[in-house]
Amino acid sequence: MGEVRIALQSLKMSFSTRMQYRVDSLVAALAVFIRESANIIVIYLALLKFDSINGWNVNEMLFLFSILFLTYAFVVSLFADLRDFSRMIREGRFDRLLVRPRGLLFQLILNNADLIASVGHGTLGVLLFLVSAGKVGIHWNFATILYYVCAIISGILIQGGMFIIFSSLSFYFVETNSIREIFYWNMRKFAGYPISIYHKLIQGLIIYVIPFAFVNYFPAQYLLRKPDMVNYNEIYIYIAPLVGIIVYLAAYAFWRVSVKRYYSTGN
Amino acid sequence: MENMIEVRDVKKYYKIAKREKGMAAAAGNLFNRKYETKRAVDDISFSIKKGEIVGFIGPNGAGKSTTVKILSGILYPDAGEVKVGGFIPYKQRKQYVKNIGVVFGQKSQLNWDLPLIESFELMKFIYKIPQKKYEENLRLFSKLLDMEEFINQPVRQLSLGQRMRGDIVASLLHSPEIVFLDEPTIGLDVVAKERIREFVRYMNETERTTIIFTTHDMQDIEKVCDRLIIIDKGKKIYDGSIEEIKNRYANIKTIELLLEDGRKETKTFDVSKTPMSVVMESLFSEKNIKDITLCESEIDSIIRDIYEGRVILDDLEAERN
Repeated sequence: MGEVRIALQSLKMSFSTRMQYRVDSLVAALAVFIRESANIIVIYLALLKFDSINGWNVNEMLFLFSILFLTYAFVVSLFADLRDFSRMIREGRFDRLLVRPRGLLFQLILNNADLIASVGHGTLGVLLFLVSAGKVGIHWNFATILYYVCAIISGILIQGGMFIIFSSLSFYFVETNSIREIFYWNMRKFAGYPISIYHKLIQGLIIYVIPFAFVNYFPAQYLLRKPDMVNYNEIYIYIAPLVGIIVYLAAYAFWRVSVKRYYSTGN
Repeated sequence: MENMIEVRDVKKYYKIAKREKGMAAAAGNLFNRKYETKRAVDDISFSIKKGEIVGFIGPNGAGKSTTVKILSGILYPDAGEVKVGGFIPYKQRKQYVKNIGVVFGQKSQLNWDLPLIESFELMKFIYKIPQKKYEENLRLFSKLLDMEEFINQPVRQLSLGQRMRGDIVASLLHSPEIVFLDEPTIGLDVVAKERIREFVRYMNETERTTIIFTTHDMQDIEKVCDRLIIIDKGKKIYDGSIEEIKNRYANIKTIELLLEDGRKETKTFDVSKTPMSVVMESLFSEKNIKDITLCESEIDSIIRDIYEGRVILDDLEAERN
C-alpha cells in the first residue's frame, strides 16, 4: 500500500514538473512525435514500392511498429531514471537512494518519469495501431485481446529489464551509453521489420541476446500467422508473454549482484 | 551513557587508475592499467555517545566525506568495524537508515521545479511517517526555520539558504535519532548559517539527536559542537574539546613581519618554550624589520597551522594518553 502511495506521489511530481512549463512540454512532446513519425513515413513510402517484405504487407508492418511504440511509451516513463542512470551515478545522486529505507530499484522506477516522451511515442503507437489493426485480419476476441495485453506488458518488462542490465553496467564502467547505443537502439531499429529478412546472426542476437523479437515480432505472429514463422519454433509465440518476466527477473538478479560493487567503490 | 556510534580501526582505500602523459602511454594504459592506492580513511577509531554533537573537520580530501559515507551505509569499509545505533550500516541498510537523516550540503534532494511541500510529502510516504507526526514536525520545523513564507514556492526560486533549510527539513521529518550534516552551511551568508546552527542546537537539546557535523567553517564548530574531530590524510589527528585545543595553542603565537625590502614573512613559535623577549631579540638582530603584527591565536588560525603542517599534534595526543 505504501509503495502505491510513493509511486503516485512520484508520478504526480513528474506531472506537476512538466505542467510548470506547459508550452515547452507540449512542443517537446510534439517534437518527439514528429521525429518518430518522420521515420515511419519514410519507411511507409519505401514500402509502397513493394507489395510485401517476406510476406508482410504495409499494414502488417505498421502493426509491428505500433507494438514497439506502445511499449516504449510505458518504458520511457517507468524506467526514465534507469535510462539516465550513468549520469545519476556520476553526479553522486545515487547516494541519496542508499540512505532511504526503500528498495533501490523501486526508488528508481517511476521517478522523474519522462511523460513527454511517453506522450510522443504513445500517440504514434496508438495512431499506428488504429490505422493498421482493423486491416490486418485479426479477429479480436477475448483470447486475442488477453494475449495482446499480456504481450504488451511482457514487452515493457523486456525493455525495462534491458534498461536495468545496462544500468547495472554503470557499476563496472564509468560510461555505458555507447554499449546501450549498440545493443539497445540498433536492435530496436532491426525490430521494426520482420526479423526473417536478416542474416542468421542478427536473428540470433535479436531472439536470444537482446530479445526484441519477443517484444513485437512473435506477438504479432500469434495474431497474424505469416508464412515466415516456419523458420522458428512455434513455441516462441506462446512464450512471448512470459519472456518479459524471465528477462526482468534475470535483470533484477544481475542488478543485485552489481550494486554491491557500489558499496566498495563509491563514485 | 551508551555509545551511539562506534568506529574501530576503519580503513577505506581507493584504487585509482594512474594516467600517464602522452599518446603512447595512454594507449598502453588501455590494456595494462596501473593502479595507485589512495588511503581515503586510514585506520580511524572513535566513539560517539547518544546526544553528542561532534564537529568533523579536515582539509579537502582528508577523508571526512568518506567517513560520513561509511557511517551512513553508503560505503563498505575495507577493514575495521562500524556500529551505529546497534546496526552495521552497510549490512542492514533498509533497517538502519530509518534511524538516520543525512544532509549532503552540496547535493540537494529536493525537486528543483516544485514547491518544498511536494518533496516533503514524498518523504512522508518513503519513511512511513504517521500523518499526525508529519504535521507536527512540519509545523515545528517551519516555525524554527522561518519557512512559512516560501514553502509553497518552487525550489528553483529559493535562495541557497532557503533551499538548504528545505533540505535539512526533508532529512529530519522522520525524526531520526542520528543526523549526519555534510557541509550544511557551505556557501551560505552569516544570517543563514546562524539560523541553521540554532536549529541544529535546538534539535540536539530537545530531541537528544546525535549529530555529526562536517564543515570548513570554524564558527560552526565553535557555536554548535561540543567536541571536535580533526581528520587529515585519512588519519584522526585530534579528538577532544575546542577549549582544550585553544588552551593548548594559547602559547603558540604567530607574528607577521613586514621587512624593509617590502617582503612579508610569517613566524610561528611557542612562548612556553621560547620567551617572547628572546624571540623578539633574535628577530630584530637578524632582519631589517619595518613593521610587526602579533596575531591572536584564533581557532581559525590554529586549524590553518595544523593543516599546513606548522603545528604537529603528536605531542598533544601523547600528553593526553
